Amino acid sequence: MSMNAPHHQDVRKPAEAWHRRMAQALLYGRNVDRPRKARARLGLAIVAFSLVYIIIAGRLVLYAAASDPHVSRRGATGDAVATARPDIIDRRGEILAIDVKTPSLYAEPRRLIDADEASELLTGVMPDLDHSDLRERLSSHRGFVWLKREISAKQQAEIYHLGLPGVGFLTENKRVYPDGNEVSHVIGHVNVDNQGIAGIEKWLDNSGLADLHRAGLASDRDQEPVQLSLDLRVQHVLHDEVAAAREHFKALAGAGLVLNVRTGEVIAMVSIPDYDPNSPRQALEPNRINRLTTGVYEMGSTFKALTLAMGLDSGKVTLNSTFDARMPLRYGRFSIHDYHAQNRVLSVPEIFTYSSNIGAARVALRVGVDEHKAFLRKLGQLDRLRTELPESAEPIVPKHWGELNTVTIAFGHGLSVAPLQAIMGVAALVNGGLLIPPTFLKRSEAEAQKVATRVIKPETSVAMRYLMRLNAEKGSATKANVPGYYVGGKTGTAEKVINGRYAKNKLLTDFMAILPSDNPRYLVFVMLDEPQPLPETHGYATAAWNAGVASARVISRMAPLLDLEPRFNLPPADVQILGAGRSAQAAPADTQILASAKNTR
Amino acid sequence: MIRMIHLVVVCAFVAAAIYVYKIKFDATVQAERLADIRAEIKREHDAIAGLRAEWAKLDSPARIQGLAQRHLALKELDVSQFDPLDNLPERPKPLVPPDSADPIAVIIENTDTPTTGSVPAPGQ
Repeated sequence: MSMNAPHHQDVRKPAEAWHRRMAQALLYGRNVDRPRKARARLGLAIVAFSLVYIIIAGRLVLYAAASDPHVSRRGATGDAVATARPDIIDRRGEILAIDVKTPSLYAEPRRLIDADEASELLTGVMPDLDHSDLRERLSSHRGFVWLKREISAKQQAEIYHLGLPGVGFLTENKRVYPDGNEVSHVIGHVNVDNQGIAGIEKWLDNSGLADLHRAGLASDRDQEPVQLSLDLRVQHVLHDEVAAAREHFKALAGAGLVLNVRTGEVIAMVSIPDYDPNSPRQALEPNRINRLTTGVYEMGSTFKALTLAMGLDSGKVTLNSTFDARMPLRYGRFSIHDYHAQNRVLSVPEIFTYSSNIGAARVALRVGVDEHKAFLRKLGQLDRLRTELPESAEPIVPKHWGELNTVTIAFGHGLSVAPLQAIMGVAALVNGGLLIPPTFLKRSEAEAQKVATRVIKPETSVAMRYLMRLNAEKGSATKANVPGYYVGGKTGTAEKVINGRYAKNKLLTDFMAILPSDNPRYLVFVMLDEPQPLPETHGYATAAWNAGVASARVISRMAPLLDLEPRFNLPPADVQILGAGRSAQAAPADTQILASAKNTR
Repeated sequence: MIRMIHLVVVCAFVAAAIYVYKIKFDATVQAERLADIRAEIKREHDAIAGLRAEWAKLDSPARIQGLAQRHLALKELDVSQFDPLDNLPERPKPLVPPDSADPIAVIIENTDTPTTGSVPAPGQ
């Protein structure tokens, strides 16, 4: 344009009439080139308008390309807050906890036409609603009121057909526990807003689910189910038997646990009294705590297993060592007696089968105080045990650990641990010497090997299997010797401390059984709090008569469920486990078990 | 000529507009169907979850045990009821060899005195 400009000026200027030139000069001044200016303005207008139209066109394309938000949101209306939780299933896939969508009824009183009529109609469908309260709520001028949480699908349909304006439904996730009490202490429970507040449910929240909820991403059902190590069938057997034993022996409380000693998986865990996670109000009562993880107890004679294992592992004691149990062991102003006093020199197996306090104390003294303490720490008995369950208790360890403490702790008094902790320790003694932290999630043997730490030698573990089995053949655990499963076990009876003194008639009895003893796969634990003597127990209330008997019932019912093949006519412990009279040690027994395990699969 | 081109262009524009509108309309219909199906899948999922919960409740071991104790005369399994496969006796020899031409004749030949209700078995 600028190139043409002088040429145009030359051509046009003379063509203009004089009166126009004058008007121009008067209006704009003499030297202004009007046509050129007009063209520039026109160009600017063209650019501005085309810009506007390009923007409009572009926006139209965007609108056409983007999906209609109204359509895509239609399916999600009426969906309440994002609080979906993954299902919890047991090791075989049975449902332990599941989300169910339930409609809840709400009203917007401002939009109601006739509150009286609405309340009439609604109480017609749901007679359990309080009429006057309902009318009051509907007559209020609030924007939103809940009328009833969790109504049935039938009620929803009926209310829908009433066609009331200002009344609507919101679906909410409700957590359902089909097995009620049976799994309460493992699973825990959730609050009204579907947030986990105990047990595995809380662990789920702590391990990331709560963040999902907060971000509003957990509304869908596509969350992977969480698989636990529990076996619902075994859990039921244990629950049934522990509850029966508690009732039969009129005990204050009972608890039981089945542990896979090779993987550390908890197959079943029960603490009674328990509660119904579907209505978890009872869960707050202090009597309903989980005694296995939240309670600490003096475990009594079951601790002798740890003491003897320590002695054998240190090399200072062998199975053939003998200890003097002729006299009560005097220590300062205390004297240690035996419950089944033999008043003679006892060998190590005899200390175990007669459950000799004096013998166990002498073994611990021979090993030494510091080594005793170090051994128990290595076995995890002195530190708080943490599992997936958020509830855990710190063991009560004596502040000044002297010789007297070692003497009493040798037979299970003076050190209070969570029963799950003691179970972990005993499992390590019999599974070949590996301390495996217990878990409530499914875990393979290979994964367990990774987290395991070796605490005793394999030979010591073989000796411990022998002692446990011997105890079931001719010791205090004969009542738990279920034929066919080669059970071994150890009883434990502790006197409870009442007002700072040991009470002779308030006992805490527990029993640990391993099966099959020649190559243990499972450990069964049963504990009763203050069981009462009965005529059929000949006035005894010690562990063998109650916890031992209950363990036997649990074992005979659960073993077929866990693919344990019964084997009859097995030789006694010294031949089968120690390999007396055979060249190879425990190896043949291992292969036999493996073969039988394969057969049953 | 130019008028002709104008006419063609205008027709093409109209055709294109109709075509675009049709595509857009179809897409909307499809999107609505998709939303419906999604909603239905969600409903079905929820229904399945509800049924699974109900089934788990009905199938719970405690309930089954209660029913069995109330209605059945079954007793608890005893360890002695298990027996390994090795203890199973040998299968009895078949009465008729599998490759015989006349099975009935073989049976008659092998049976000296037929044992029936009217003929007492030998030795009785």
